[in-house]
Amino acid sequence: MSPADPPRASVLLDAIEAALAPTHAVGLPDNASAALFSLLERHPRIRLVPVTREGEAFAVASGVWAGGGSPLVVVQNTGLLESGDALRGTAVRMGVPLVFVVTYRGYARASGTTPLPPERPLTPEILVDPRLDSVALLTEPTLDAWGIPYLRYGSDADVPQVAAAARRARDEARPVALLLTRALA
Amino acid sequence: MSGRLTKHELLAPLARLRGDAVVVTSMGVVRPWARLSTSPLDFASADSAMGHTADFALGLALARPERRVICLNGDGSTLMTLGTLVTIAEAAPANLVLFVIVNGTYELTGNQAIPGASRVDFAGLARAAGIPSVHAFEECAAYERALPELLACEGPVAVVVRVEPGREPPIERGPGEPPYLRVSLAESTRRLRAALTGVR
Repeated sequence: MSPADPPRASVLLDAIEAALAPTHAVGLPDNASAALFSLLERHPRIRLVPVTREGEAFAVASGVWAGGGSPLVVVQNTGLLESGDALRGTAVRMGVPLVFVVTYRGYARASGTTPLPPERPLTPEILVDPRLDSVALLTEPTLDAWGIPYLRYGSDADVPQVAAAARRARDEARPVALLLTRALA
Repeated sequence: MSGRLTKHELLAPLARLRGDAVVVTSMGVVRPWARLSTSPLDFASADSAMGHTADFALGLALARPERRVICLNGDGSTLMTLGTLVTIAEAAPANLVLFVIVNGTYELTGNQAIPGASRVDFAGLARAAGIPSVHAFEECAAYERALPELLACEGPVAVVVRVEPGREPPIERGPGEPPYLRVSLAESTRRLRAALTGVR
């Protein structure tokens, strides 16, 4: 596989299992994470917990951790933005060493068209530009504002990022985001 | 429903019967529960995220299927994340007992009425969400009679109890508060995990 190929869900999940040994995966699917959810639905050791809104995922995951489990969260970046207070008031405030996968809707078009913030200021013009998906422009600035560390994952070659995210989450007792910049195959 | 229990009438039988269950409190019952219990299996969902107590308790229940988890949630908090009723029904944890404590107000901010206070049927919402065992109480004797069975039967169980509005002030963590509010939310979470796993 070359960096030009899309990342494979099986490779990502193997890395997640090795780094986190998750007992529960909590979240909502989208097109980019569909292949991962497909694997999770039939996984023999990880229980998939579907939620109705992404904020719930962080609270459920925090409860899983408080109960002695090892949670994984998978959401889209739109849902991440919706989850602000749930993420702050549960996983962050509770000090949960959580790795959460965020599919990065709009990344490819935004990054191929214009520099992403902070290189490109979030002007009113760019936020209403129909050629760009504004959620892609807002994802990393929002995580920065919330004090959430993040790593990007765009191909199988990025597998070491999973262990790095897990290590940081554990060492710092905090949530760390893994931003999936391309849809999983 | 026309009758109402006092908070003591709601909580005292629960404190007697909870056994080794985890009890997650929120909002207007955080302090009243602490006057009845100091168990290491008590957890105050305070200084956290309003509306995210029931889903937190769901996660606990899924992680500890061998142990009963009792969640004391408010009506205003329930309204904030109604979808959680569906999430609970879908996950179907047999060990989760979800209380919806209905006082019709946001007590901690001065008893402003919640939207739909005189109309919302919380038991109906829980049933419609797919929770298989739903019970509603407005009278103390009936509640006390039913409680042992509600805490023993297969869940998820939703227990909707109408209570009198109280006058609890906003909740803080620190000295002067009940023991489970004297430490940070992070420390409280670590302690609960340690109590449940035996690992610090």
